[in-house]
Amino acid sequence: MMNRFIRRIQRFKGWFGAISAMCIFYGLYLGLLDSPPDYYQGEVVRIMYVHVPLAHTALLAYMTLFIGSLWYLWKRDPLVDNMCQAAAGITVAFTTLALITGAIWAKPTWNTWWTWDPKLVSFAVLLLIVSGYLMLRTFVEDPDKVGRYAAVLAIVGGIDLPIIYFSAEWWRTLHQPLSISMRGVSMTGDILLPLSIMSLGFNLLFIYMLMIRTQMLYLTNLLEAKKGRLLSQIHLSQSTS
Amino acid sequence: MTFFSIIQWVVWKDLISELRSRETLSSMLFFALIVILVFSFSFSMDQDAAQQLIAGIIWVSFAFTGIIGLGKSFTAELQNDAIEYLQMSPAPKGAIYLGKMLGNLLFMLVVEVMLFPLFVLFFNLDIVEEIGILLLIFFLATVGLSAVGTLFSALTVQVRAREVMLPVLLLPLAVPVMIAAVEATRGALNAQPFAIYSQWIELLTVFDIIFTVASFWLFELILDS
Repeated sequence: MMNRFIRRIQRFKGWFGAISAMCIFYGLYLGLLDSPPDYYQGEVVRIMYVHVPLAHTALLAYMTLFIGSLWYLWKRDPLVDNMCQAAAGITVAFTTLALITGAIWAKPTWNTWWTWDPKLVSFAVLLLIVSGYLMLRTFVEDPDKVGRYAAVLAIVGGIDLPIIYFSAEWWRTLHQPLSISMRGVSMTGDILLPLSIMSLGFNLLFIYMLMIRTQMLYLTNLLEAKKGRLLSQIHLSQSTS
Repeated sequence: MTFFSIIQWVVWKDLISELRSRETLSSMLFFALIVILVFSFSFSMDQDAAQQLIAGIIWVSFAFTGIIGLGKSFTAELQNDAIEYLQMSPAPKGAIYLGKMLGNLLFMLVVEVMLFPLFVLFFNLDIVEEIGILLLIFFLATVGLSAVGTLFSALTVQVRAREVMLPVLLLPLAVPVMIAAVEATRGALNAQPFAIYSQWIELLTVFDIIFTVASFWLFELILDS
């Protein structure tokens, strides 16, 4: 059932890519050229139009991985496992970019590259968990077990992330009051519009990448299986002759 | 065989084999001893700094020592293919998990209780008042570490590069345990009123419950031939 749904939606993947590109270009034009500079931060605020959508998309990608893992354990559909693997790789990319753009934004506004803010802690740990997930996938030798083990890790990580966020938040408020705030960035329309368009663009980009990568992994596995069957056939025909 | 007798037998088996070989406990103890010595060389010149950092030092030592114990928990089962018998046994896998987890918890707690006097000695701590609450914190945090650690020990034992993979997977997930344990321990050692750090003890309890239950259900997927 899911298999069919994924295949059916795959046919339209070019559209996702095209609309995503249009959204991102339009959003960048609005955010970088058309919107006013921030009252406090000046031109620096413009990195927000990239940073916030990246962070949201990273979370969306992990959500996909988490739900896909539950799904895989329930239905054991190899295509869903491929989708999880694809989502994990994209999560790593978006999380890394979100952390980098965040650091670049933090330096001029908070005067530090890094601070132990709950969001930063959660994202750093998220990056570690998903990197561990991809490492685990490479280290499991038995192809029947890869998906299952990886799904278990993704689920435990997904349960843990909110707890990590809250513990970091408590920890932070205990030690020093939050010196950080978005001082006076009121969300007026000329900020909200480019931000939403960029978010939409990045979300569609994620779906587009997910489709391509899932298809690629699926075909790779299919090729491996076919190669194995072919080799065993050759082997059989040689041993009988 | 009832559910609880399976748990008992698994714990008993691990205890017996440990008492015969003394492999896990002795390696954990020596490792932890070396860690404590290194830390005390590094910090003991500056007593004030050491007092600030001691809670962190204690938990870094305990976590790394725990990882050694957790790693050995299932590698022992690889000998004579014992892990396949565990997979094949008709016992509920959750019971095997709880047995293994209690065994790991026991070893880790034994090592922690043996090591803590050394911290008191080297770093000149004052603990007479709070010894009960400290033991509670040790217990709760170690339950958290062994709940997640036992699951991942069973998982990594069946993959390549298992010595690397266990800490790589376990430590990021143990972030809440580490933060809560360090903060609660610091509160207790500085003789702060209980209400100030009680939220960390609550967090540890919640973490323990969530991850013991989750691992209990997920263990079947890992120990499944």
